[in-house]
Amino acid sequence: MPDTTASAAQAPLIEGAPAPGVKKVDPMVVADGVQRTFGGVHAVDVDHVEIPRGAITALIGPNGAGKTTFFNLLTGFDKPNKGTWSFDGKPIGGVPAYKVARRGMIRTFQLTKALSMLSVMENMRLGAQAQPGENIARALIPGLWKPREQEITDRARDLLARFKLDTKADDFAASLSGGQRKLLEMARALMSQPKMIMLDEPMAGVNPALTQSLLHHILDLKQTGMTVLFVEHDMHVVREIADWVIVMAEGRIVAEGYPDQVMSDQAVIDAYLGSHHDTDLGDLSEEQQAELLDETQAAVEREEDGTHG
Amino acid sequence: MDLSFLLLALGQLISPQTIAYALAALGLAVQFGFTGLLNFGQAGFMAIGGYAFAITTLRLGFPFWLAVLSTIVATTVMALILGIPTLRLRADYLAIVTIAAAEIVRYVVKTPDLIPLTGGSDGLNGSSTTFDALNPIPPGSYGFGPLRYDENDLWIIIVGWIFVLLVALLVRQLMRSPWGRVIKGIREDEDAVRSLGKNVFSYKMQSLILGGALGGLATIINIIPTSLQPDNYGTQTTFFLLTIILLGGATTVFGPLVGAIVFWVVLSLADGVLSLLISSHVLPISTVQQGPIRFIIVGVALMLIVIFRPSGLVGKKREAFFA
Amino acid sequence: MRPDTTRRRTGPAALLTVFATAALALILAFAGGTPANASSSPSPSPNASAAQSIQVWIRKASDRSNVSGVKVTVSSGSFSQTVTTGDDGKSLVGLPGGGTYKVQLDEKSVPEGAGSVPNGLNPRQVVVSEGNQAVPAYFILVAAGAGTTPTPGATSGSSTAGDSDAGPSASPFELVVPRIVTGLIFGLLLALASIGVSLIYGTTGLNNFAHGELVTFGALMGYVFSAVLGLPGIVAIIAATVLGGAFGYLQDLGLWKPLRKRGVALVPLMIVSIGLSLALRYIFQFIFGPDQLVLPADNRAALILGPVRLRSTDIISAIICIVLLLLVAFVLLRTRIGKATRAVSDNRSLAAASGIDVEKVIRTVWVGAGALAGLAGVLIGYYQSLRWDTGASILLLIFAAVTLGGFGTAFGALVGSLVIGVITDVSTVFIPNNLKYVAALVVLILILLVRPQGILGKASRIG
Repeated sequence: MPDTTASAAQAPLIEGAPAPGVKKVDPMVVADGVQRTFGGVHAVDVDHVEIPRGAITALIGPNGAGKTTFFNLLTGFDKPNKGTWSFDGKPIGGVPAYKVARRGMIRTFQLTKALSMLSVMENMRLGAQAQPGENIARALIPGLWKPREQEITDRARDLLARFKLDTKADDFAASLSGGQRKLLEMARALMSQPKMIMLDEPMAGVNPALTQSLLHHILDLKQTGMTVLFVEHDMHVVREIADWVIVMAEGRIVAEGYPDQVMSDQAVIDAYLGSHHDTDLGDLSEEQQAELLDETQAAVEREEDGTHG
Repeated sequence: MDLSFLLLALGQLISPQTIAYALAALGLAVQFGFTGLLNFGQAGFMAIGGYAFAITTLRLGFPFWLAVLSTIVATTVMALILGIPTLRLRADYLAIVTIAAAEIVRYVVKTPDLIPLTGGSDGLNGSSTTFDALNPIPPGSYGFGPLRYDENDLWIIIVGWIFVLLVALLVRQLMRSPWGRVIKGIREDEDAVRSLGKNVFSYKMQSLILGGALGGLATIINIIPTSLQPDNYGTQTTFFLLTIILLGGATTVFGPLVGAIVFWVVLSLADGVLSLLISSHVLPISTVQQGPIRFIIVGVALMLIVIFRPSGLVGKKREAFFA
Repeated sequence: MRPDTTRRRTGPAALLTVFATAALALILAFAGGTPANASSSPSPSPNASAAQSIQVWIRKASDRSNVSGVKVTVSSGSFSQTVTTGDDGKSLVGLPGGGTYKVQLDEKSVPEGAGSVPNGLNPRQVVVSEGNQAVPAYFILVAAGAGTTPTPGATSGSSTAGDSDAGPSASPFELVVPRIVTGLIFGLLLALASIGVSLIYGTTGLNNFAHGELVTFGALMGYVFSAVLGLPGIVAIIAATVLGGAFGYLQDLGLWKPLRKRGVALVPLMIVSIGLSLALRYIFQFIFGPDQLVLPADNRAALILGPVRLRSTDIISAIICIVLLLLVAFVLLRTRIGKATRAVSDNRSLAAASGIDVEKVIRTVWVGAGALAGLAGVLIGYYQSLRWDTGASILLLIFAAVTLGGFGTAFGALVGSLVIGVITDVSTVFIPNNLKYVAALVVLILILLVRPQGILGKASRIG
């Protein structure tokens, strides 16, 4: 696998010209007609999208574009109103999240979910699959799971060394910095040797000093033949590591293309300029605050009228 | 001054009631402390388990082991009925559904229409015969001072403590295994665990079943030397158990045991001291007013523990239930 | 069934009449004190037969039909009077004063085959306060042998009342309609308490297990002001409401606000509320004792419409509830603080960012919730009876109502309360009376199965 895919990333990813929903030469994920509505609003409304195998794909778009919701749908953490999608050739629409993970599609979260009351090593071990000791009956007989535990621990040590967390192995994850937690979460996701890894804003809240090392880790994943899909806001990051970029706005896919093309695409610029940017509420004037309050109240009233819910 | 209450309090150290509460609290610790399930109906599991044992013994003539098995089956069925609809919902729904289910159980077993089966408000008496029949201890009176036990009291105390310790070791083994790792992960963030390919729902269900079964088995120990009284399994019983596990440390295996012992010894001492003060007219209250005081103590203690010492007596600060 | 159709059509009209009449009664009540006080003249006249009374009522368990010709003796100290029940199974016994009376049914006078009073329920102790009218002493006769061998026939006989022997027993209509009416009144009382739970949950995220104690507190304050201090009922009701609000304010100030400041998470907060509930409940028992307490009121039916019999307190309570609930709705919908409350419930951080003083909103919610719960408590005291654990005993019904309506929505709590109230009372037609709370709790679990977000709640959003 690794040697064929390493070259696949160099080869053209698509058949034909870049456009939303364009066919990929070798798709890992194919989604069709996926819709998710919250109170009448289409949070996600994707007609067709394919994610190329063995490449790094960036999913970008303004706030509220539905990127995270789309992530949640693909990984089984949310249920769509309608739509189908497949992973590695097999349909996984409606498959529960834990089974999606077992099939080799592992995700991370925007707000890091390192388990702070477990040690770093225990976090890693939790990521492994096929541990017979996770069955309640076999758990009582250590002989049945100790050998596998040793294999898991060895693999965890290798990964921790790669991510420069080996010195922290026995510390509680609570003691890690924000960037280290991101690294741990990524390393933990790799414990199960997934086919595809989905990173939700891997750079968010990471100390700039760690950003480069995180980028390298993501590039390394591709080298080992893994498919990567990540959500990102920072265009520099996207340009630096992505092979392919998918742009979402208001739940739809508005553009797709190679990084340099997409950055100059008018539809993308419109999508970004046409919506609220990250607004820091602290900077609002009193009128703006009053306006926001009115909006909230209006939302409350809509709900009570039943039109919203 | 009559100081015999000191010995009575000492008796609480090993009494069947303490054993039963330790076991039921251990079950609640598995669910609540380790897994993070808000089971506020442990008293309901205790009641169902107790009635399964007493009814199969008294009405159906089941032998001891089969009656014990009935208890496990009954609590498992209850866990399934409550868990299937609620374990996928927000955590506090389980709290409300379990507390409601426990009250449903209590109301139903008390209803006069079921007197022939459940004994109504009077409960069921005499379900200890099959257990006492297994007693190898020769008849006699054992103990010292005012603490006297007949052969059957001694039998249940010995068997009860051995059983509780065995269960505690078993739970400790479980919690140190990969299974326990998944369980602890779920307590902290079930989505994280789900994203790593674990069937969170199934683990929560296993935890609910295991903890509920321990609650049911606890009732057997509780009713063998006395009788099965439905009102002993009201919501306040669950809250006592909650106090016990938070007192001892909700995320430890031996915390619930220590908590149960401390809980009953302290309550017994408090009762004794109060009786003494009232009978010697130091405290200007009536004996009727003495009854509620222990509950006031428990309520205030529960608040203080949660606010000031969430890791309990045994627990390490790091492992405090509330991060 | 057929004869009922004509009567059923009159149902809504009858209800309207109830409310219209009740409104009139309320005006009268505010104009000249409560009818209870009007009827019990303050002049101490021990021989007056109407100052206090016990209502004896004897029915069969099988079909709830009335039993006449039964001799019943009411006695206390030197007082003793024996009466015989009339065709309606009832007899009113006038009493010389308040106190505890022994009510004994003469088993020999019970007609052949009518059954007997279950063990331990005859004789019965009945507590009567000064001025209490028609204090209930009801006996249910159970068919001989039913207590020991519950054949399926015997059980179903008690639940499907009036199907087989249509003669003297009540029709399904006559059984159900009064219970719908009383259930609605009970639902209104529940709503007063539920809205507080819902608003506290909405604004702070706390599932307040100590809310029942706010209710009990109101009931006990009502008792102190009316039964102990002898003030008119309306004063007791106002005092319970005001003191309930003060209690809510102090709780927030002394406990919940500091805990919020410490950043205590929601689950521990919930457990603190459990501890508080336990402590308060037993402090109440410590002070007021473990027995039932009775608020002085006239328990005779003041309004009889077909099968519906309402006491003046029922009617006044219902009116007060409706007025208060309309007031709450107005506050929430039209006033600045109400809108702010809903904004905080909807999105706390956004509301805070928009310049809303969240702490002030929460404080107001606690005062309002305490006042409404206090009012609910004193009215529930009039509706049934009160005790140190009155609030705790309905806490689960409150939670059921709030869950049913959808957590955090005030109007959902109102709808949920009415549903729970009606289910509770109507269920007694089909299942034994002591299981009526079970019906409500079973419905709660079933609703959660089908529609976890409640009747009016919105589906929660993941991610």
